[in-house]
Amino acid sequence: MMQIPCPFCGPRNESEFSFGGPVKPPRPDPLTVSDEDWTAWLTQVPNPLGPVQEQWWHVRGCGTWLSIWRDTRTHEIVEAPDDGR
Amino acid sequence: MTAGNRLATGGRIDRSRPLNFTFNGKPYTGFQGDTLASALLANGVRLTARSFKYHRPRGIVGAGVEEPATLVELMGADASGNRPATTVPLTEGLAAKAVNCWPSLEFDVGAVNQLASRFIPAGFYYKTFKWPNWHLYERPIRKAAGLAAAPSEPPATGHYETRYGHCDVLIAGAGPAGLMAALTAARAGLRVMIADEGCEAGGSLLSRRLTIGGADAMNWVAQAVAELAALPNVTHLQNATVWGYREHNYLMVTERAPANPSLLERTWRMRAGHVITATGAIERGLVFGNNDRPGVMLASAVQTYVNRYGVTPGKRAVIFTNNTSAYAVAANLAAAGVEVRAIVDSRDSVPDDARAMVPGIEIMAGKLVTEAQGARQLRGVAVAAKTGGSARIISCDLLAMSGGWNPTVHLWSQSRSTLRYDEPLATFLPDTPAQAVSAAGAANGALTLQDALRSGAEAAAQITGAQSPEIPDAPDLLYDIEPLWRVETTKGRAFLDLQNDVTVDDIHLALREGYSNVEHVKRYTTGGMGFDQGKTGNINIIGTVALAQGLAMEQVGTTTFRAPYTPVSFGAIGGLREETVALPYRHTPITDWNLAQGAFMYEAGARWRRPGYFPRAGEGLQEATNRECRAVRFGVGVYDGSPLGTFELKGRDVGRFLDYLYSNVMSSLKPGHGRYGLMLSDDGLIMDDGVCFRLDEHRWIISTSTGHADAINGYMEEMLQTRFPGWNVFITTVTSQWNNATICGPKAREVMAALGTDIDLSPESFPFMSYRDGTVAGLPARVVRVSFTGELSFEVNVAPRHMRDLWAKVMEAGQPFGILPVGSEASHVLRVEKGFLSLGHEVDGTVDAYDLGMGWAMSKKKPDYLGKRAVQIRREGAAPRRELVGVIPEPDRQIPEGAPLTPGGRKERTEGFVTACVWSVVHEKWVGLALLEDGHARHGETAHVRLKGGEVIPVRVTAPCHYDPDGEKLRS
Amino acid sequence: MPYDVTFDRLETQALYDLKGPCAALLAWAGDALPPFPDQPNTKTEAGGATLMFIGPDHWLLRADLTREDALDAALRPAEAPPEISLVRVSDTLAWFRITGPDAAEVMAVACPLDLHASRFSPDGASFTEAFGLRAFVTRCAGGFDLAVEQSFGPMVQDYLTRVTS
Repeated sequence: MMQIPCPFCGPRNESEFSFGGPVKPPRPDPLTVSDEDWTAWLTQVPNPLGPVQEQWWHVRGCGTWLSIWRDTRTHEIVEAPDDGR
Repeated sequence: MTAGNRLATGGRIDRSRPLNFTFNGKPYTGFQGDTLASALLANGVRLTARSFKYHRPRGIVGAGVEEPATLVELMGADASGNRPATTVPLTEGLAAKAVNCWPSLEFDVGAVNQLASRFIPAGFYYKTFKWPNWHLYERPIRKAAGLAAAPSEPPATGHYETRYGHCDVLIAGAGPAGLMAALTAARAGLRVMIADEGCEAGGSLLSRRLTIGGADAMNWVAQAVAELAALPNVTHLQNATVWGYREHNYLMVTERAPANPSLLERTWRMRAGHVITATGAIERGLVFGNNDRPGVMLASAVQTYVNRYGVTPGKRAVIFTNNTSAYAVAANLAAAGVEVRAIVDSRDSVPDDARAMVPGIEIMAGKLVTEAQGARQLRGVAVAAKTGGSARIISCDLLAMSGGWNPTVHLWSQSRSTLRYDEPLATFLPDTPAQAVSAAGAANGALTLQDALRSGAEAAAQITGAQSPEIPDAPDLLYDIEPLWRVETTKGRAFLDLQNDVTVDDIHLALREGYSNVEHVKRYTTGGMGFDQGKTGNINIIGTVALAQGLAMEQVGTTTFRAPYTPVSFGAIGGLREETVALPYRHTPITDWNLAQGAFMYEAGARWRRPGYFPRAGEGLQEATNRECRAVRFGVGVYDGSPLGTFELKGRDVGRFLDYLYSNVMSSLKPGHGRYGLMLSDDGLIMDDGVCFRLDEHRWIISTSTGHADAINGYMEEMLQTRFPGWNVFITTVTSQWNNATICGPKAREVMAALGTDIDLSPESFPFMSYRDGTVAGLPARVVRVSFTGELSFEVNVAPRHMRDLWAKVMEAGQPFGILPVGSEASHVLRVEKGFLSLGHEVDGTVDAYDLGMGWAMSKKKPDYLGKRAVQIRREGAAPRRELVGVIPEPDRQIPEGAPLTPGGRKERTEGFVTACVWSVVHEKWVGLALLEDGHARHGETAHVRLKGGEVIPVRVTAPCHYDPDGEKLRS
Repeated sequence: MPYDVTFDRLETQALYDLKGPCAALLAWAGDALPPFPDQPNTKTEAGGATLMFIGPDHWLLRADLTREDALDAALRPAEAPPEISLVRVSDTLAWFRITGPDAAEVMAVACPLDLHASRFSPDGASFTEAFGLRAFVTRCAGGFDLAVEQSFGPMVQDYLTRVTS
């Protein structure tokens, strides 16, 4: 059971949150993007061994959608890497 | 046997409070403060168990959670299975029996396995019982290897509880190090929890005869406990095991005897700022021939029985050790009047201070016990030089063995913190912490008392930032050890893991067969599994592997330590979640009314309990459903539509937001009007459907399906907060601000008029897909003209505080018109007759709007909305689509929901399936819906359902709508 | 002895969900509202109403049900400008009051939030979790008020009965 830092509420139990998946690149413009790129954007989700940026919804708290970097090996919540967005 | 093993004085038992108990049906007496194990030993009961695989006779080996041999089943009110006898506190009337013997402990039929034992080595079951499959053999084998059965009844009184807890410092273990850490942290004002698995605080001090500050060490314990009890910032739990250490310093602590008498057990889910594992150390056994004979015990356990319980587990003892700690045991035994015949020490030289503790006792340095003798109990031991040669037989009835000490690193390791092998201590020690955790005392390798006290104080001082306090004088024998992983010159079976009957030969076999990694050795041999999880034997297995492979201990490494540290009852994990609250449930305000009408309640999405149907006397589901459907089609019915998800949206950008969210255009809606729409996800699948009403320029109300309300809410917020943070849209959930009674059927308008309303109900003034605010039956109401049944419908929305009132008035006003309450079964029939969609039936995560004949909902005008591009790409593909059609079984009969359609009914790849099939009260026959390849082009054709078993049912393919295809009735 | 607490289901409370910039809400209905709390998850009280800061640009106004009509008249939800949102949500929550020496113990069974006085101040007011549900928690005299989505009211009643039995 992780403890997730909410920007409004402070650290809260993971059970107050709903997992929103890894953060994907911004949605491409569907009017100009190629079929391949669009399909890739839809279906490819970051899944690294190590830090990953992901979204969580504080559904049982203040309702904020927040993002954290979590190390998938340890559940540690870490600083964004230098090359992270 | 007679009860001749209890000392006249001494120990922490209350001789004024005798307790009666039975073991395997025979009555015995013990004292308050005993465990079942100490009471059995006091009564001279030595054969207490049969082993798991070979059914060998076993006795009590340990004195705590490390016990590998004696598991018992408790009966009666305390029923529970597979409890180590050493951890069962004795109570009046306790009834226990051994778990693994049939028909009796003394005469065990399974013991013939011993004769066959060379035919059932490690891996035997895997290799032998594989044809045709394991499951054929599993049941009888499991019975033969039987452990206790689960109790058939829950405890009659009391309940389990789980709760949350928070502290600055959680200390696992209330021995000298843990108590010292708790005092240090608590005096600094931190919020402290200290939890200890024993009934009493003190840890090893309960079993040893030591002094602190010149007085009995237990005096110091009593003072520490009293000081902690007086501090409001301390929670001190005994009989409470910290058994799980998860991520982010989240730990599980289960109390087995909470102070609140309503509670059977209580689990604390602790979030700790810092953790100190002061979990002590566990002695390991020694590995030699027949080292499992009853009477062969851990030296520390012998010490515990003598000092803590006033019990002498034997009359003539031999000590077998590779370290100094057993010398105090010899001294304590001698002081209790036991004849200690020899100390067999595998080390060539014994330190002088150790020798000085045992004047008059023969010390056999550089010698080994090669074999334990005796059948059902120990009669003697064979002692030989390390180099081999002839053995000397020493007769004895007790062998106290000490293979050295393993710091209890289980919690430390569960936290993912690392271990290192320490050569001087010949054991694995905590190395690098992975979370905010430190180890203290024996758990950190501080194996003498003063070191343990100091290490506890320092661990806490590091957290408080204060100076470590003064440590009282606490003399203790220095610890010295030479590792002895096994006796190589041995006769008979040498057990590494007593509980799983794993021998040295089994480890060698596993290595020969290629299972060389220690984790593989564990799985192939089962060594280190079971209830004790190898607490006494694991490191000897690692040592045996290291010896066989010529590796260092560090290179072999340990197996992974996993939660739970000791067994936990299911009840303590589930807590209060049982019976009616096992799963969440939601009610609308008229649940009591529904139940009073005899409604059969279902769960219908998002945990709502809704009436399925309202059977009258003698009616089954079908009759009741038909009656309710006829009321709606030919008269009037009413249902409670409250659970639909409802959201109020406000702001300048709501129109464009809804246009992005729904596949059709919503922004063009005029105030007071509504529209049905589909919500897609960006991958083009249908996520939800619902209606959207515009209240005024900037306020809108949308409804979602019941089951998806939370998901849609989250999705909308995600869009607004992460994709369009600048858009002016506010979302407020109002699902439970509105309840409704939906009055539907040809006579609905008459019932509305009878209720009395200030709203003009005429179709010209109040058309389909519009709403009006006003009063109905004197209650403030919002009336919406939507229809999920295909009939004229008025959805009368009121605040939930008025719902019971409204419902009663509807039933009263509708009575002259024969109004009936309608359950979800009838609603299902009515929507299938109409060909209306149901998520999870027709909308199954593969179909798009075009497949459902709803291409009109896919806006051509809007350049972009969720799912548009994905649907476009998919429809450019050549794969045939499964499209929604109506089906009419010919001959007339019911088709099970989900039944596949195959070409010609042949055993071929399916071309679709039946999504629903209901008895139509309009047509008086079975009608259904199906998803069928190219279905839109096949109206009028015959398709074929193929049931399991090969039965084929022809069905006529039709348009999906079986009733009022032009929608005249719902618009009326 | 079981836990030394009593719990009661409170009657419906007048509740308004307020969203938007604080300044705009103040400008629209400041006279009808207690002063805005400045710390997240705290509350202020004035004139029989409580204003709770429950999320970014998000407040909950609570008063006795008898004051609902007056609040409605003061807040005029339907006429408010688009940059703010005021919605009556009185019926959406079921309220329970848990009081007595062991109130905190019972709350700890329900709720993962640290309600220790050093962490959850006397003016604390926050959405969190109780019995696995989204729940609102605040202090009251001698204990806590706990609110859950109204439809879960019977279940929470059931749970509280079990905890305290």
